[in-house]
Amino acid sequence: MTVWHLDPDAIRRYSQGAAPPELAASAEAHLMSCAACRDVLSSHVDARRAATIWHEVVDRVDAPRRSGLERMLARLGVAETTARLVAATPTLRAPWLLAVAGVLALAAWAAQADERLLRVFLVVAPLGPLAGVAVAFAGRLDPTREIGLAAPYSGLRLLLIRTAAVLAVTVPIVAAAGFALPGSNWPAAALLLPTAGLTCAALALTARMTPVAAIGVVATAWVLLTAPITIAGHLDLAFGVGAQIFWLAVAIGGGTWLAVTRNTFTIKLGRSA
Amino acid sequence: MTTAHLQGVTKSFGRTTALDDVDLEAGPGVTGLLGPNGAGKTTLLRMIATVLAPDRGTVTLLGRDPSRPGDRTGIRERLGYLPQDAGFHRGFTVFEFIDYVAILKEMTDRRARHDEVRRVIALTGLASVSAKRIRALSGGMRRRVGLAQALLGDPDLLVLDEPTVGLDPEQRLRFREMISHAGERRTVIMSSHQTEDITALCTRIAVIHQGRTRFSGTPAELTAQAAGRVWTDTQRSPAALAAWRTGDGIYRNVGDPPAGADLIPPTLEDAYLLLMGQPDLEVSQS
Repeated sequence: MTVWHLDPDAIRRYSQGAAPPELAASAEAHLMSCAACRDVLSSHVDARRAATIWHEVVDRVDAPRRSGLERMLARLGVAETTARLVAATPTLRAPWLLAVAGVLALAAWAAQADERLLRVFLVVAPLGPLAGVAVAFAGRLDPTREIGLAAPYSGLRLLLIRTAAVLAVTVPIVAAAGFALPGSNWPAAALLLPTAGLTCAALALTARMTPVAAIGVVATAWVLLTAPITIAGHLDLAFGVGAQIFWLAVAIGGGTWLAVTRNTFTIKLGRSA
Repeated sequence: MTTAHLQGVTKSFGRTTALDDVDLEAGPGVTGLLGPNGAGKTTLLRMIATVLAPDRGTVTLLGRDPSRPGDRTGIRERLGYLPQDAGFHRGFTVFEFIDYVAILKEMTDRRARHDEVRRVIALTGLASVSAKRIRALSGGMRRRVGLAQALLGDPDLLVLDEPTVGLDPEQRLRFREMISHAGERRTVIMSSHQTEDITALCTRIAVIHQGRTRFSGTPAELTAQAAGRVWTDTQRSPAALAAWRTGDGIYRNVGDPPAGADLIPPTLEDAYLLLMGQPDLEVSQS
């Protein structure tokens, strides 16, 4: 049973946050068991300050815990809200990334055994990141797509955030697979601009059709244009300097189009949402 | 005061006409869209939620034109939407998911956003499961999470697509209570193919069938259309459009009664059955 009480000056200093640590610790221990001192203390405490502190405590207790990815993005200076949107990108889940890495690793391994398979790899590899962007907006894999479309958050901003996140993860996978190929490391570098160009073209087309349809159109065009000349062995034509300049122009054109249409851009829902 | 005004709205997907020259007006209170599966209710609600644009016709929401980008954003700031197949990031907790949607609603201040998340969680009775992962919740609780995210920001227009589908009777009653409460201060537009929900909640209804408006008015007006066309008998009447044996062993017949039939007061469901059973009926509007 408590038989002593805090002196009024100690209570006043404690209530103002001016008590030294050892006094504050002692006062806290006493206040836990002494209703009389708590009553005296409450008359010294500013109600608004107490409410603010309580609010902070509640917020610490039930606020969402940040995932590892969100903590990493925060360390890189990414805003808390943006990090949360990135973390919710369906394509950034481990099973999907493992599948992409697995397919490309298999393709790279097969290409070592047969040069013709190297050509197939060059056609298929840029489709990995593109598929990642498509999956990030596919109805079944993005469960909150419809809720997101009805929200005031800019559709273009969300599209760009998710695309950047997908590319940041999948392009290194493609590059790593490229480095694993036999001979020089040129395939790893040669794939970067086509990947950027295809992605920008798909994003620009998203102003006219659903993201998945836009990516389907671009992927089909890529395969139809590149597969015949690549598989026939004309790698210079498909991946040489001229082709790289072309894909750079496509990337710049697509980016410019997005910048110009940013105020009117809407993401299409499609028929089967 | 009209919150949502749609006039001559038409929407096709390929060769399928989902909506054909539909009109709708909704103001404060709960407006119900009633119709069978595939009638076009979801397409209509998606337009009101600004996620679909009509091929023809005009849509005005909260006094603004959603076809204009600036207006559309303004509407979305005052809109809450629960889609029919509302999905969830199942690894998120209830709080995390609603917080995620709050970010999409441009609530950037972390403290204020969390306060708002806590408010809607309390409003929908989810406080005890706030820290639970969504994948661990029952279907009814998940539906509540869907309603909670729609209530974020205290929207002026609430669009709910089949909010009570798949709920057990007790959950359905709880949901009715929440929707009714929401409709006291704002415009709620909800769809259902359950006439009980519509009867219990709605001040106005529109019956949609095969992409067209078949009726628009109050539930009482629709019910009145069936007056004198519902009767009981000891057997199924050949004149009935629909007839079923009730729990007390007599048949409830709906249609054109024979002379001397024992007429009884109709329900909204009777009127709905009659309306659906007459494909060439003209639109009845009050």
